[in-house]
Amino acid sequence: MADPEEYTNLDHIEMTVRELLTEMKDTSEVIVDLAYAALMYNSEDMAEKVNELEKKIDNLNFAIRFKVLLSSRTREDAKQLSGLLQVASAANKISDAAADMVDLLNLPLERRPFVSAMLHESDEKIRATRIGPQSSMAGYTIGKLGIEACTGCRIIALKSRQGWIYDPEDEVKIRAGDDIIVRGTEDGYNQLTEYAAGRKPWEFPEIPEGEEETTPQEEAASINSEEKVSE
Amino acid sequence: MNRLEEMLLEMKDTSEFMLDLAYSSLIYNNEEIAEEVMFMAESMEDLYSRIQELAVEIGTSKPEEVARIVVAVRLQASIKSIADAAKSIADVVLRGLGKHPVLAMSIKESETTISLAKVAESSVLNGKTFAETRLSTQCGMFVIAIKRNREYIFGPGKGPTVRAGDILIANGPEEGVSYFRGLADGTEKDLSL
Repeated sequence: MADPEEYTNLDHIEMTVRELLTEMKDTSEVIVDLAYAALMYNSEDMAEKVNELEKKIDNLNFAIRFKVLLSSRTREDAKQLSGLLQVASAANKISDAAADMVDLLNLPLERRPFVSAMLHESDEKIRATRIGPQSSMAGYTIGKLGIEACTGCRIIALKSRQGWIYDPEDEVKIRAGDDIIVRGTEDGYNQLTEYAAGRKPWEFPEIPEGEEETTPQEEAASINSEEKVSE
Repeated sequence: MNRLEEMLLEMKDTSEFMLDLAYSSLIYNNEEIAEEVMFMAESMEDLYSRIQELAVEIGTSKPEEVARIVVAVRLQASIKSIADAAKSIADVVLRGLGKHPVLAMSIKESETTISLAKVAESSVLNGKTFAETRLSTQCGMFVIAIKRNREYIFGPGKGPTVRAGDILIANGPEEGVSYFRGLADGTEKDLSL
């Protein structure tokens, strides 16, 4: 085994391959939302966060490659693990694309007014709304509210009195006066603004207990033809 | 919106849909869904060249538009890269390299997960159109494909009516999954919220 001193200083090296891949997938989704939001709102701050995340994915990609190569012992390993690396590098490619997008902010504003107008017409729209003083959402965390499960809207960024938080964690508390930037359908956004403005009381989702866990493999059996599943 | 913007927007929406489908093909190691990603990649190629041609056309006839066109062309290159990434994820499945359990688990565990649900006879969704169900607003789950008998309907959007026996493939937050499954199997009747 290699001397641990030689690689323990690598970023994210303590994570498992599965954790690394999950993190890369999540980050590659957030970074694209943020990039479009940066273009829509002409935000240098968001662009900076995009560049930061792009560097993070570079490091994650390096770590996953390192760990995967270490774990490959046989030809069969090499075959299966190369699929895994291809997915990781797809996430990396997506983050590069997002970083290229925000580079457009360096061009003079008058050259790109159509971009936000165009993004406004997208299937999944990025919009902003404010939590009003009457809103029953105020005082609860994003996780407790289950905002995405209840409205289909995902919070990309939140501006509180302390400043901006990008891709806020479930533990972040929503307060009256906060501005949130979300991604979701028109219908979901309209519903969210009702709650945010305090015109409708928030309905907390029921947290299911002892949920039966199905593995993707079990689920796949219902759509894949039998000969493929039996393999 | 002018034609260039419409095409650019179509590219953007398609690239996002391709990525959702690509991850679905990967989590279920499903070649039919992966094939659809490849099929959509071809229409992306086509859109990409049409946008380029139109950009040149506008640029030559209206030089004052060139600065704006540059933005559109650069944006479409980024969007195309995202579509290419989706394609290379689907390629893993088509090459038969999608079996590693870590692949499926990493998607299962991610913030936006993918889930299946079969529509029961007694389901409140049975007989409703997707517009009527407002599924994504109800539980955050967005149906990206339906498997009906042996056929797939990709991107059902607001179109078809849900039928008993349909298998819905949806993506969304982990918290929305059990409600989504309950609606489909008939145990959850509350579609009003």
